[in-house]
Amino acid sequence: MATTACFIIVSRNDIPIYEAEVGSAAKREDAAQLHQFILHAALDIVQDLAWTTSAMYLKAIDRFNDLVVSVYVTAGHILHIFRSNICTLLNPLYLPGSRIASSHFDTKVRALARKYL
Amino acid sequence: MVDPANTPLGRMLLEEITPVVMVLRTPLVEEACLKNGLTLVQMLKPFCVFNNIDVPVRTASDQPYRLQKFGLRLFYELDIRQPNLEVAKERLKQVINQAADKDLSELCSDLPQIDNALSISESEVLPSWFQFFNKELVHSVSFSDHEAFDHPVACLVVVSSKDDQPINRFVDLFNTKKLPSLLTNGAMDPKILKHYLLVHDKQDGPLEKATKILTEMRSTFGSDCQLLCINSSQDGVVEHQDYPWVLYKFEDLPSQPLRCFLNVEDFNEIKDLMQDLSTKHIIPYMEQKIRLLNQQVAATRKGFRNQIKNLWWRKGKDDVVDSPSGPTYTFNSIESQIRVLGDYAFMLRDYELALSNYRLISTDYKLDKAWKRYAGVQEMMGLAYFMSDQSRKDAEYCMENAFTTYLKVAPSSQQNATRCGLWWVEMLKARHQYKEAATVYFRVCTEEPLYSAVMLEQASYCYLLSRPPMLHKYGFHLVLSGDRYKKSDQVKHAIRTYRGAMSVYTGTTWSHIKDHVHFHIGQWYALLGLYDLAANHVMEVLACGHQSKKTQELFLRDFLQIVQKTGKTFEVSELQLPEINISSLRVIFEDHRTYASSAAASVKERIWVSLEEEMIPNLSTARTNWLELQSKLIPKKYKESNVCVAGEAVRVDIELKNPLQIPLPLSSVSLLCELSAVSDEMKSDASSSLVEIQDGESTSLIHRDVNFESSLFSLSDVDFSLAGGEKIVVQLTVTPRVEGILQIVGVKWKLSGSVVGFHKFDTNPMKKISRNRIQKAKHPHCDNLKFVVVKSVPKLEGVIHPLPKRAYTGDLRHLVLELKNKSEFAVKNLKMKISHPRFLNLGKRESLNLEFPACLEKKSSDQSAEHANLNDVSHALFLFPEDTIIHGETPLLWPLWFRAAVPGNISLYITIYYEMSDISSTMRFRTLRMHYNLQVLPSLDVSFLISPCPSRLQEFLVRMDVVNKTSSESFQIHQLSSVGNQWEISLLQPLIRGKSSTSEDEKSSHPRLQGTHLRLGTQGNNGPCFDIASSPLADFHLSERLYQEVLNKGDTNPVDFILISRPLKNDINPEVSEPPRLFSHHACHCSTATTSPISWLVDGPRTLYHNFSASFCEINLSMTICNTSHHVDYKSIPVESVSPFIWSGSSSTRVHLDPMSRTEIPLQVCVFSPGTYDLSSYVLHWNLLLSNDQENRDRSSSGTCQGYPYYLTVLQSD
Repeated sequence: MATTACFIIVSRNDIPIYEAEVGSAAKREDAAQLHQFILHAALDIVQDLAWTTSAMYLKAIDRFNDLVVSVYVTAGHILHIFRSNICTLLNPLYLPGSRIASSHFDTKVRALARKYL
Repeated sequence: MVDPANTPLGRMLLEEITPVVMVLRTPLVEEACLKNGLTLVQMLKPFCVFNNIDVPVRTASDQPYRLQKFGLRLFYELDIRQPNLEVAKERLKQVINQAADKDLSELCSDLPQIDNALSISESEVLPSWFQFFNKELVHSVSFSDHEAFDHPVACLVVVSSKDDQPINRFVDLFNTKKLPSLLTNGAMDPKILKHYLLVHDKQDGPLEKATKILTEMRSTFGSDCQLLCINSSQDGVVEHQDYPWVLYKFEDLPSQPLRCFLNVEDFNEIKDLMQDLSTKHIIPYMEQKIRLLNQQVAATRKGFRNQIKNLWWRKGKDDVVDSPSGPTYTFNSIESQIRVLGDYAFMLRDYELALSNYRLISTDYKLDKAWKRYAGVQEMMGLAYFMSDQSRKDAEYCMENAFTTYLKVAPSSQQNATRCGLWWVEMLKARHQYKEAATVYFRVCTEEPLYSAVMLEQASYCYLLSRPPMLHKYGFHLVLSGDRYKKSDQVKHAIRTYRGAMSVYTGTTWSHIKDHVHFHIGQWYALLGLYDLAANHVMEVLACGHQSKKTQELFLRDFLQIVQKTGKTFEVSELQLPEINISSLRVIFEDHRTYASSAAASVKERIWVSLEEEMIPNLSTARTNWLELQSKLIPKKYKESNVCVAGEAVRVDIELKNPLQIPLPLSSVSLLCELSAVSDEMKSDASSSLVEIQDGESTSLIHRDVNFESSLFSLSDVDFSLAGGEKIVVQLTVTPRVEGILQIVGVKWKLSGSVVGFHKFDTNPMKKISRNRIQKAKHPHCDNLKFVVVKSVPKLEGVIHPLPKRAYTGDLRHLVLELKNKSEFAVKNLKMKISHPRFLNLGKRESLNLEFPACLEKKSSDQSAEHANLNDVSHALFLFPEDTIIHGETPLLWPLWFRAAVPGNISLYITIYYEMSDISSTMRFRTLRMHYNLQVLPSLDVSFLISPCPSRLQEFLVRMDVVNKTSSESFQIHQLSSVGNQWEISLLQPLIRGKSSTSEDEKSSHPRLQGTHLRLGTQGNNGPCFDIASSPLADFHLSERLYQEVLNKGDTNPVDFILISRPLKNDINPEVSEPPRLFSHHACHCSTATTSPISWLVDGPRTLYHNFSASFCEINLSMTICNTSHHVDYKSIPVESVSPFIWSGSSSTRVHLDPMSRTEIPLQVCVFSPGTYDLSSYVLHWNLLLSNDQENRDRSSSGTCQGYPYYLTVLQSD
């Protein structure tokens, strides 16, 4: 099945610190911006839910047409938003607000994505 | 909880779900009304709404209640039919268009702020036309046959008194075939309440005729007849204070002030008529009908028996039904009657009764699979629940059920679903469930993009109004809405929504989102012809390194197109293309420090400072000196500023980076500068004029540049193209022409020949100054962008040619230093300092034109003059002769000697100090700094091994190892010289093996570099010998000595060697006539010391004949022992015999040797047969007799030396 997934890590104040487009589906030209829009909009729901539940993994909290948003909230309220069910454990220790630029991290994410998609 | 009737939905329902009155009229009636510019319905409409009617109503129950608010809806018979979808669509589009045209000015204003959107109330957030739009949308599904509240309750038949045979007209009107299909096709009971009205226009004549007709009518139709007199105003136009039609916006109402012949009497008459119609006819009729229907329903459907029967009957019907819209029900079917009962009850506010009947009928419809009717009933149930303020949950459930059911029977019921959705939304809104309302709006969206756009926009406002506000969703839905608006060509609306969305997204780092929004707003502004605004938005997305190449091209292309359409050169502050790397900003300027090349300018200041330390009188005092001179001219506040000289360029290096993957053509890249001439500055208040410059409008800046360019300063400009992702450091210069204050404001460039971008450097004056002070303390070479321009002073330009970039170690060259002074004023007192005197040496002026290397050849003539300044080499400061003055066109040429001393990458720093001959100049001196990098490759590796000569005392064997470390070069060893008079070097054999001898007696106090030379190589002794004692070689040798001394310390009697070699002619390309080159290798302080402090020599015959038949052979030898150390030694010489010869004489001798003395010991050896003997079988033991101050600890105090081989051949004599 051709799936597409966008994986974004969002730090506090809604700053995206990591973005990855993964998946096997053919890329649409506007996929990147559409995904950003959907994930950005989902932040409202996340902010509501994050304070009401102790669960870290919030599955399918929001949807837009056939795109489903799932969120993994870490203790420091850094949000790992992604569509489709990739379970990634990440070390949340990093400088607040700084972008994740490590290419190693990038390849890891993509490798994991291939495994589960 | 508010009263449901007072909520927007409640008000809407009270207005929309009211009895419909069908109006039939003759053309003459219409004519009479149109005198006032109104149709009959329009004229009556304002009087159909009753806010305080106070009618007692008794429906099914016996308990009467009073109705306060009531209303009627009047429609012509032609309008009572399902509206044409196309017409409705067109009308909705018009509504939207009108709304769009209204706020064009708003589109050009500043972007809205999200804080504002949050703080204003609901009514302000929502555009007012939404309500109107929604109403129109609801109206587009009126008069459906599946619901009864739109079915006419009564019929108003109107005939004018002018009509012929009015009685017949009344009958004709109702009998025509023009009646709505609802009445004719059996969907509703054609026997409806009729009310007959005779309209009399008073302008047409007296009332008598009308009253006559009325009595005739009464006799024919009964009591339901009335007379209405209009146009009573005789004298024409009447001005009405409270014109009742103002409140009603008829779309087709003429906009000009109405000519009105209606006076107050008429108003009252109409009012009375309508009230009479409602209270005396319609309401009682409905009450009566409700009671009647209720009885019927009770008889057939109420009770257990009826229910079972009904169920069974319907079950049996199941198989028959297969039409898509479900079965059709005629007006006299029980289902239709229940529905009518429900709707009548609803209209008379008996929600309980309505609900019970709706419930009843809904199960029936469900069983019959009459889905549209089922949905309609569910919808009404939801509304009834809401109006009776009953279970919220049930209300919502019913609405959702209705909505989904309508959608299920789509597409024919799409409009109904929309209406249902809108009511549902209003219901949620009334309960402040904005979040849920938003999702309903989202579900209402259809394929029709225009409606979807409006719905999505409304959804977005719901998100904004929800508590806490959901801004992310707000933005997203605005964008979705804008997208749909654009699809339906509503560009203005699209811009409006995107602008709203922008308020959410500004300040975020969601790059793709921002790009999308800005780019599209920009494009849409361009569609509207607002190119300036368009360009501003598209500009925001230009630096989109994260986008694909294709997108980048699209963005840039669109931007340039838009800019072109603006029809002027577009000037953009902080244009993102290319990126300006401010941290890379470097300002290179010359005050008293001048640079020969850009490489020299980039050298760290402290290197120069340490180099110039001794040469410059005193940097700080020098500065203050000329500043004091200048202080008359320059205000105090500029003392912190840098200084530059008029006529000399100030260079700025700045890195430009192309963030895109596509090439960027840049042209006219230049600096933005301000120069206020000293005279201006003095006249006006200095500070104010400067501030004005800094805060000035960008456009004016550019203009002023153009004006000034010819007079005050000149700028360099560069054209180039930046490839994708490329970084380029551009060098821009400004050359001030007059004295004053120069401020470098920023940089500007032209992108693709049409857009002028400029970037101002940080010019916050306060910050600048404070930072500047700190920097001053740290590095004086700070990036202050303000300069005091002083009067032009001479400036030396220097170049050394031809200084090689690469050289082999030992390469000795003759170079020329050329100094030019373009100014008319002369400079004097030149001094020069070189960081590496080992590499570079100042020659004599005389040697400038000498032929190299012939000039180095030894001449027999006098040498004394050449050693004049040898001592100066040590600190590498060269003073040019006092009479050296450079001015005008004639450059000064001075010889330089270059020698590549050690391999490696060498940075040579040369600084030349000079003073101005013109005393009035603001600078007393300047320095010229030159910097060269060169790579020195290893060539010959020369090492010397010196060991005592075993056969001679005080002589040493010198072994020279020469290794060619190059891969391609061949060298010819030319000459080896030992330096100084203490040593003499000679060839041991005609091989490359040297022998040196000491001559201890002479010790020169003056290090005159004389010595002995050894010609080596193929030419033997024929070739010229180079003079190591004259200028360049001697100087370099002294440098080498100084340098190598550090390495080899503590040798008592060292020797220096100079090896001179020449490269062999290049065999590969002999055509290239290279200048003759010379290599010199200097080995200094070669140690002659050995481990033992003694040297000895056994002397005696080597070969002798002896007749062994006569006796054994006794041979006398002598050993000379020499104490080479400076200490008192004691030595013992034990001699041991282990070989076929015997040491005779004393077997062990002890000798005391004074320092630097020698002694001779006789030795004897006995040989018994002829042969060759090695007499090395002896050992020397030595002990140092250390003096009281035992200084030489590192040396061992005693030791043993094995004897040298000494071969003695004894032959049998005859």
